[in-house]
Amino acid sequence: MMTAHVHVPGPRSRVAVRRSSDRHTNDNGDIEDPGATPAASGVEGIEDGITRTGGSVVAVTTEAVQPRSDSRAATRSPRRGPSHRRRTTMTAYLFILPMIIGVAVFMIYPLASSAYHAFTKWDGLSPATWDGLANFRYMLFEDPTFWPSLRATAYFVLLSVPSSIVFGLALAVLLNRMIVGVKIFRTIFYLPVVLPSIAVLTLWKYIYDPLYGLANQLLTALNLPTSQWLQSERMAMPSIVIIGIWGVGGSMIIFLAGLQNVPTEVYEAARTDGAGPVRMFFSITLPLITPIMLLQVVLGLVLAFQAFNQVAVLTNGGPGTSTMLFMYKIYTDAFGSYPNLGLATAEALVLFVIIMIITGIALKTSSMWVFEETK
Amino acid sequence: MTMPAASATYPTGRNVEPGPDLVMRRRVPLSRRVPMTVSRICWYLLCSLLGATMLVPLLWMISIALKPDSNILQLPPQLLPSSFQWSNFVNGPQQIHFPQLLANTVTITVLSVFGSVASSMLVGYAIARIQFPGRNFWFYLFTFSIFVPGIVTLIPIQRMFFALGLIDTWFPLILPSFFGNPVFIFLARQYFTAIPRSIDESAMIDGAGHWKIFTRLMIPLTKPLWITMIIMAFQGSWNDFLNPLVYLNSETKYTLSLGMANFMGGLSEAAPQFNYYMASNLLYMLPPLLLFFFAQRYFMMGLGTLGVSQK
Repeated sequence: MMTAHVHVPGPRSRVAVRRSSDRHTNDNGDIEDPGATPAASGVEGIEDGITRTGGSVVAVTTEAVQPRSDSRAATRSPRRGPSHRRRTTMTAYLFILPMIIGVAVFMIYPLASSAYHAFTKWDGLSPATWDGLANFRYMLFEDPTFWPSLRATAYFVLLSVPSSIVFGLALAVLLNRMIVGVKIFRTIFYLPVVLPSIAVLTLWKYIYDPLYGLANQLLTALNLPTSQWLQSERMAMPSIVIIGIWGVGGSMIIFLAGLQNVPTEVYEAARTDGAGPVRMFFSITLPLITPIMLLQVVLGLVLAFQAFNQVAVLTNGGPGTSTMLFMYKIYTDAFGSYPNLGLATAEALVLFVIIMIITGIALKTSSMWVFEETK
Repeated sequence: MTMPAASATYPTGRNVEPGPDLVMRRRVPLSRRVPMTVSRICWYLLCSLLGATMLVPLLWMISIALKPDSNILQLPPQLLPSSFQWSNFVNGPQQIHFPQLLANTVTITVLSVFGSVASSMLVGYAIARIQFPGRNFWFYLFTFSIFVPGIVTLIPIQRMFFALGLIDTWFPLILPSFFGNPVFIFLARQYFTAIPRSIDESAMIDGAGHWKIFTRLMIPLTKPLWITMIIMAFQGSWNDFLNPLVYLNSETKYTLSLGMANFMGGLSEAAPQFNYYMASNLLYMLPPLLLFFFAQRYFMMGLGTLGVSQK
């Protein structure tokens, strides 16, 4: 069998073209992962047949190779043949066995179990019994905390995700310059992210203490009205969001990495055309940073919908239901004093669906605002 | 102000700064590298102001941790301690059995860090460097599991450990990590894919199998990868709160995160030993902080790889 290889120069751009034009599908019918380098996608070992003549090379390998399905594995090592291939496959599966078990036991089974138990009456003590849509009916029409907790979650997401993006980007732009000392500032802003969340939250719980806390102390010193912070229905949620803003260094550092990938030449060109810093930010930086922004939006949404520690440590959902985040409600329904596991699994599924829909919307609409370099 | 040619300043503009390396790749707009003096001073003022604001809570915590008992109930509260009571760092931890909690946390952390890093390295290696049927299918399945929210699987997994009689043991906190961490596998695959093929090919010609290549060649070659994973796994385990909360009942088995949250919840108007609390809290923060200062570039590598690969 003769195979034609086209050699494109460059360290990682080796592409093999087979006559049968099966370039994008490998022998198992899997789609070849475009992220893998050609070397990793099974076209290695062709050097022996290649004659290098400058730029692109057409090489002809005249190997008496077995059926098509074998052509890739056959070229890769001196030991060839189906028995070797079977052994390699077995080795590979032994290597990934931990994850196969992990996915089966800690993802597939729990997902299936949740999908079933959401439709059952289940208190964890006696066996679950089929209950149809009762959990969902209770959740939507009778549960006094379901809608308040959705509202609290929406409020939290709407406050925390945009604020972390705006402040993170602002800090990143501020710290994206070469000045002596800039790294010290970067370290300081990143510091809160490194600390354990429980340590941070308990610290802030004391900071918000109306009597002894730092927050009111500072407000008094500045002659500003003090607040009840976590004990006030109006201020509890904003107080929690402020703690998140203290940890904005996490999104700052990702934006910073993105900003440093913006080519210098673009700014130079804009400067020669007479653009000021504000114009340059909105016309160059912002569009070029949108892919990172999308990543931040999606990550931020997924994490914000699953926020739990804040409420568990600071407020237990109160005062009233003002900070009853959905995650916390699920937790109390499942592991509280009156466990209702059927209801809790139903709620967990609802949360899963909400997260999927919202991130799906973010990704779908991203083509409208995310700048793509190659058009 | 005239701009020097890019080629002249670019090399000197790099790597000139001392201090910790927070970001791997640095390409800063030329215009921002040669600012005028006034704007430079404004920049320092603004950054110092913001930086100080960020540090205030931590400084205040240190101040509380050093306060004598008599200062705690003082009204109005004072910012600084009247005298330093260093014994808080002994009495505070003693009161919450800090040494016991620390031993628990270290045991759990070490085992689960080892489990998740070892298993993820194995899986990442196989996915990146062995050709086998179903490779991409498994890779996409593993990656998909990153996006399944923990709470959806938490309840069934808790029931599973309950049925096995493993509630109130450390098994539920350690065991799952031995079955691979999807994020780590993703990282490992990226890293292994970038290593030249020729290395293992020549080893294979010498008769080495995949296990030998993995242990003898790949592990030494991928030191930055597994250090990054160790750090991420350490943080995950050290900071974990929800899982200990769900699985542990007896206080002798608590982790530090659970113990600290419990201690804070137990403080009341009657016995507000916030100085004890903050002293213990500082000790709890110390290991991650030290790790951060000594291994900063690996923190960034994890972020960088994730960020770049998502682009």
